[in-house]
Parts: sequence; C-alpha cells; structure tokens
Amino acid sequence: MSDAQPIYSIEDLVIDLYATTVSVRAVDGVSFNVRPGETVAVVGESGSGKTVMTLGPLGLLPEGVTVDMKGSARADGSELLSIGSRQLSDLRGRYFGVIFQDPMSALNPMLKIGPQLARQARRFAGLSHEAARKEAVSLLARSGIPDPEDRYNRYPHEMSGGMLQRAMIALALAARPRVLIADEPTTALDATVQAQILELIRQIQREDGIAVVLITHDIGVVASVADRVIVLYAGQVAEEGTAMDVLTRPVHPYTRGLLASVPDFRADERAATREIPGLPPNQIRLEPGCRFAERCELVEAGCRQHRPPLQTISASTSPHRVACPVVLKREGIAVHV
Amino acid sequence: MSDAAAIEVRGLKVHFANRSGAGAVRAVDGIDLTVARGAFHGIVGESGCGKTTLARTIVGLQKESEGTVLIGGRNRAEWLKSDRKSFSREVQFVFQDPLGSMSRRQSVYQTLEEPLQIHRFGSSVERRRRIAELLDLVALPETVLDRLPRSLSGGQRQRVSIARALALKPSILVCDEPLSALDVSIRAQIVNLFTSLQKQLGLTIVIVAHDLAIVREVCSDVTVMYLGRISEAGVTRPLFREPAHPYSQALLSAVPSPDPRIEAGRRRIILAGDPPSPSAPPPGCRFNTRCPVAIDVCRVEEPMLRSVPHGGVAACHLADSGRRPVI
Amino acid sequence: MNISAIRDIKDWPWLVLLPVIGFVLIGIFAPAIMPYDPSAQDYSATLEGMSWNHWLGTDYLGRDVFSRIVGGARISLVAMVIVLVAALAIGVTIGSFAGYVGGRVELVLISIIDIALALPSLVIALALIGILGTGYWSMITALTLAWWANYARMSRAVVTAELQQPYIEAARVMGAGHLWIFVRHILPHVLALVVVYASADAGALVLAIATLSFLGLGVAPPTPEWGQMLVDGMSYIEEVPRLVVLPGLALTLVVVSFNLLGEAFALQKVPRPVRGATLRRRRRARAREEAERNAVETGTTSA
Repeated sequence: MSDAQPIYSIEDLVIDLYATTVSVRAVDGVSFNVRPGETVAVVGESGSGKTVMTLGPLGLLPEGVTVDMKGSARADGSELLSIGSRQLSDLRGRYFGVIFQDPMSALNPMLKIGPQLARQARRFAGLSHEAARKEAVSLLARSGIPDPEDRYNRYPHEMSGGMLQRAMIALALAARPRVLIADEPTTALDATVQAQILELIRQIQREDGIAVVLITHDIGVVASVADRVIVLYAGQVAEEGTAMDVLTRPVHPYTRGLLASVPDFRADERAATREIPGLPPNQIRLEPGCRFAERCELVEAGCRQHRPPLQTISASTSPHRVACPVVLKREGIAVHV
Repeated sequence: MSDAAAIEVRGLKVHFANRSGAGAVRAVDGIDLTVARGAFHGIVGESGCGKTTLARTIVGLQKESEGTVLIGGRNRAEWLKSDRKSFSREVQFVFQDPLGSMSRRQSVYQTLEEPLQIHRFGSSVERRRRIAELLDLVALPETVLDRLPRSLSGGQRQRVSIARALALKPSILVCDEPLSALDVSIRAQIVNLFTSLQKQLGLTIVIVAHDLAIVREVCSDVTVMYLGRISEAGVTRPLFREPAHPYSQALLSAVPSPDPRIEAGRRRIILAGDPPSPSAPPPGCRFNTRCPVAIDVCRVEEPMLRSVPHGGVAACHLADSGRRPVI
Repeated sequence: MNISAIRDIKDWPWLVLLPVIGFVLIGIFAPAIMPYDPSAQDYSATLEGMSWNHWLGTDYLGRDVFSRIVGGARISLVAMVIVLVAALAIGVTIGSFAGYVGGRVELVLISIIDIALALPSLVIALALIGILGTGYWSMITALTLAWWANYARMSRAVVTAELQQPYIEAARVMGAGHLWIFVRHILPHVLALVVVYASADAGALVLAIATLSFLGLGVAPPTPEWGQMLVDGMSYIEEVPRLVVLPGLALTLVVVSFNLLGEAFALQKVPRPVRGATLRRRRRARAREEAERNAVETGTTSA
C-alpha cells in the first residue's frame, strides 16, 4: 500500500501572499506526497503555512489577497497550478473532499442537508436522482447521524455542532473523492465529540481506502490517527516521517520543543512542560538560513547562512527526514544518501 | 476573613429566559463549590455545561437566579452593589479572547493604565512605574507599550490581558478558557506564567478549561460539570487517575496522547450522541441518556454528590466511598 | 505612532480631499476673495458677459456673478456646518442614550427615530418651515430637526454593538462606572462612524439648503445664495444660460466632492487584492529579496 504511486504530490511549492499592507512568503519550498489509503498530518502553529500550503493549490484561499504560486501540485494527471479555474473546480469536487473547521463554510444554510448531499453525488459521482437520494441517506447514516431519513429534510441550523461536522464530512464524501483534506476538523468540538469525529475519519479511511490530509496543531489528534507527519515551521518542512518516528524519536529542535510543550495526559509522571522561547518569524522578509535559528538552543553561526537541507536519516518507503544538519552532526546520526 | 474560603458558591442557579418561550436555559442548575485560598482550581466540561456561566457569575458579570456567591466570606451581590471598586481590587477576570477583551483603539500602555486610572492610582509617574512592574511580571518587553492589541501575537495579547488583571493586585483570579485561543507552544508559555504568578503572588486561581492535559498539569483541584451540575469533584491527580463518574471516565478517555505508542493500544470510550439541551435536562441523572452503564434508578432519581474512592465526590448512583463503576 | 497608522495615512486618497478643502477655504475667505459686494446692484452693467471687470459677468440687476458664487459658498458652508453640528449633537445624544439605557426608554426613542426616518428629511423640513415661517434661522432649525434622526439611528446601532464587546465587560470587571465606559470606550466609536457619515451627508445638506432657497423658503433674496441664483437665472435661461449653469455647476461640484470623500472613507475598510503597478513593484521586491537570500546561502556554501 505504501509503495503505491502518489495520488497527490506537491513539489517545491512556493506561495507568496500579497495583501494590501504586507507581502508574506507563506510557503517556502515544500514538497510532499500523499499515497492512497494513508493519513498524512500536516502539523504547525498558526502562520506556519499549513493551511495555505494545502488549500492554496486547490484555489480555496480567502478572497482579498493576491496569491502567487510557484512549483508544482499534481493530482489525477493534472497540474493544479496551471489548469483553468473550471477544470480546477471540477477536480476539487470530484477528486478532493474538503472539510473545514467551521461546517457552515461548506454547507448552504438555505438548503436542506439531504438535497445538498444528493446534488453533490449526482454531479460528481454520476448517480441518478433516486440513487443519489439513497446515497445521501446512507452517507448520513455512515457519518454517525442518527435517524438519517429525518435529518435528510433538516436545515443546517436545526442541527448541533457535532452533527453539522458529520454532515459536512458526509458532504465531502458524497462525490466519492480520492483525497480527503481536513482543515482542523475537530478544533471547535468538545472532547467527547472530537473522539467521535476522529473515530469516524478512521473508519471511513479503513472502509474506502481514501487518503486523508489532516491539517492540525493538536499533537494528540496526530498521534491517534496519522500514519505520516509533516512538521512545518515558517513555511518550510522541519521534519517528516512516520508518526511513530516523528512523535517518539523527534530530531529537529523545533519538533522536540513542540512535543515537549504538549503535556502528555497519559504518561504517569513526567518533567514539567517546557516552552519554546520567543515567537515564530513573521515571514515578511526572506532571511537566509534556518528559519528556526532565532529560537533554537543549538544555533551555530552557519545556521543563519545555510539553508538546512532536508536529510534522510532512516530510509524506508516513508523516510524520516530532518532539516537540521547541526543536530545530526552533534548526535552522530547517520545520513542516508 | 482570613479563615473564610476564597470563593464559596451555595445553591447557585443561573437560568436564561428563552426568547421563544420554550423553557428557560438552565446554564447553571444547582451548584455548591468551595475554593480554598491559594488553590488552583480547574473547572472542566463540554460546551453548554455551564462552566463559563459559573465563572462569570462568580465575578458578577452574570446575575444569579438563585443561591449566593461568597468571596472571602462576603456576599458578592451586596459587595458589588455597595462598593464595586473594592470588589474589583479583590477579584479579577481573564477573558477567553484576549483581543476582544481589549479596546482596539487603545495601545498596550493605555490598556494597562486604564484600571489604574479608574482606581485613581497615584500620579502618572507612579502609574508608569506600576506598568513597568506589570510588564516585568508577565515577561513582556517595554517595546510593546506603544502597540495596538491587534499587532501583537496571541501569546503577547494574553500576557497583556493577564497583566491588566493583575494591575489592581487582586487576590483571586478567575480565568475563562485563557488558553484556547493560543497556539500549542505558546500555551505552554502561558501555563508556566500562571503557575509562576500563583507562587510569586499567592493568588487563588480558578480556571475554566477544556484542555484536560493542562488542567492535570497545573490545577490542584478540579470540578467536572455536566449540564449545569457538578458530576464529580476532587483533588486533580487522584480524580484523573481513577475517575468515579462514567462521564468523567469518557471525558478523560477522549483526550488523545501525543505518543502514538500509547494511542495505538489504548481503549477509547466513544459516547453515543450529543449532550441534551440545557433547557430540557432529562429526568433522573442528567447523564443517563449517554451513560453506557445506566440502570433503572438513574432514569428516575437524580443522584446526590457522594464520597468516592479517590477522596472527592461524584454524583453517580453506582458509586460510593468503596466502589466506582468502570465502563 | 505605530507603523501601520503611518501607512494608513500615506495610503489615504488625499486627492479626494482637495475640492472639499477648496470649498471650505473659499467659504472662510469669501470677503477677501470677492471683488465686489455681492448684493450691490449696478443698473449700468446688467447682464454683461465675462470680462476682466466681471470675471463671470453680471446678472439682471448688474450684480457680479463671481462675487455672488463665492458669497454663496460662504452662506452654504456656514448654514451646513451649523445644521451638521446641531444634528450631530442631538442625534448622538439621543441615539447613544437610547442604546446605552436600553429597555422601554430605548423602545420609545427608537419609535420616534423611526417615524422621523420614515419621512423624507426635505418633507419634514418643509412642514416645519410651514409652522416656523420662512427665514434663515427657521431654515436652519427645520433642517436640523429633519436631519438628526439618521445620526441617532447610527449612534444607537454603534452603542448597541459596542456594548456586546467583551472589552466593555472587561472595563466593568475593572470597576469602571457607566460614565467612564461611555466616554472612554463607546463615544469614540460613535463619533468615528458618525463623522464619516456626516462628511458624505454634507453634500446632501448643501443641496437641501439650495433647494429650500430655490423654493423661496430659505435664504431671503438680497443675500447671495446658489438656490436663489438659480431662481433668478431661470427667467434668462435662454438668453444667458451662464446665470443658471454657473451656480448649478458650483452646487454639483460641492455635492460630488463631499460624496467622493464619504466614499473614500467607506472604501478604507474593505480589503482588496493587490493589483497593477503596486503588485508588480511588490513582486519585483520579492524577487530581489529572494536573489539576495540565494546569494548568501549559496555564496557561503562555496566558500
């Protein structure tokens, strides 16, 4: 499964955002692949570029800023950065399902839930009118919505937050996408409901084998659902690898700091939570060298001049890669070429 | 006054009239709570459980429908009526959204100066000195003073709002989800700030939170709320180690660990459905509609808080000082 | 001052302000600018064309048209400012009071405001002039009473919205009283919005003053006033269209420039994507920065 061809691949992606007052380099040369059936978590703090990187190529960034993209984003044999907006919108509907933090950004408040799903299924999965209705009811049921026949005829405002989140997942699945992109899907939800939604995502993944790209800042969520993790810092990849590698054997100083700042609820006794001093850079000016240098405890003179290359330290189908030569040298970790 | 508890809540009910007339929303529906001086008390529960309303009622931002709130043994309602200012020198509140809680037209300096001006604290030189002290306390550089709140980062904003709350040297700090608007690595900074402030200033802190990992990390005592009532309360560590109430067990089980090795082998309790509406709580135990171990009596009779094995109290028919249900 | 405030000021469309400033300056320095007494009649020089003596010619009583237009600017400006200030004061006071106190008081005040808003201001003004009689001050009173409701409605809306903001609660928690909260936190927001609106409204008011005078209900004849000049010019519109066109033009210019000013204020708040020359400049700056960064990163690698 893991050595299958990627179904969504991004290469050397650079995204500049021009707003009225500032220019921001939101994504600064990021590459990653998504293969069928895996869950990739993109982890980073606000401003790390995780959302821009994932939604930018799909043309889903908010209006009011000018977006410049360089590099490549390929899916289903098309180059997303160069195809027309109509083809992109078609691909977005058919190939990608997107779920947001706020369900109301995806659902039409004026239409009943069921017909919205059915329309999506007709348009992108090519179902007949009757089949689409059946599909919509079964999607609602699959998404863990009790009494789906009744909910079919409900308006979004008649449902609770957790139910809406499920309805949005159902909507994203209606077109039978290959890749499900989930932007902070559980951040606004309560703990017990969050557990339900994560379980739902796990279950869909098992049954349909679709790939999931999960954008989140919640390390606990990553640990419970992700196969692979990409850690972003200031628009660049700091570290990537399997969830096991990255979360239990973190190497990059930023990843280590990030993990140390999250209290582990399950571990019995641990050292007190540490904090990363300082703030992330503003990304308005392009500074040479490592973006994390200002806050890093291992910083050396060269860090502010050389851009740290992403080096592989354990070769496998999901290699563990780290963008910090300093820590590799200090700890004698071998680099695979 | 010295031997009175910092905060004592007795039989508190806060009901909101519903516009459509279909029964009042019982946000807080009968709560007794005692917070000792110097405690770091966490209030947890899901949205709609009334934890924020409880915190707001303690500081008087919300009027109680029934019951009383005593601050240091003094009736809060009367205190506020007779001397609003001296009350605000005793109790302060930190809001969930630091940006919204500061005027967008005021610089950090003006924001921090405002409480001092309201209380006619000293000359402008003395106020400036006090503001410098406050910045020191929350570890902010002097360079932020001229900036507007929206040009600060999330962590800096919350530091400013904490500094403002401390400006009047209160002895009690009530915080409504002060971390939920912050990034993970910044949360740790603010959590550490709270613990060091508490030690340094001997504050009593009540914190409303939904991040249980942080509550376990910093709170000495914890109260778990469900649908306007206390479902369980006690000393944090023992309570989290062996929660007696089935709801607490589910809530704690829902917290994922950042360690995938633990996550892979862990059994999770997934509750069915959503919490019922607080305007029409179910009869009997409020949790019975979602409780996997509910028995007949749970659907009829509302359980009282009783002592449970971890040393605290829980409102569950199946628990007593010798046993607790396990789901 | 912080950097963003400076940038805001720099980006501001100053050009829009020029005609408005011009109008205000002409109004203030009118006595110095006018070459003739605008009311002085000269029967030896009626209906003269444009010349060095009379830049814009004379009317049927031989009065200098240029002086009359400049004098008219002064009359319009003064009347407009008086009405605006009075309407603002009344509107902001009533509206803020309604919004802050709430409850039944608010309900009653809102009903009054709504009734006042339901009728066109000019109709109210006409009715009031019918009661008060014609004349300069009755026109001012009538226009003020016709104009305040809009500001009252806006003030109330701002007050109600601001009262919902958590920072008001924060001030309460700090022990602030109602007066403190209103003066320090709410009033600035009310004024910020109302003044912006007033800047666009000023044009409409100048027009209303001219309209009332045109109907013979405002400024009495010998005083130079644009509406008055339009009436006087009407009889000669075929032979000397200048007499109607010039005051009409002055009126249009003032109304349009105030509207543009209001528009510019309103557009300040809307975020727009960067386009055109600015975008090209910013893209070049970005490319330059990137090249510099690459030079540093690769240069030190080879060394």
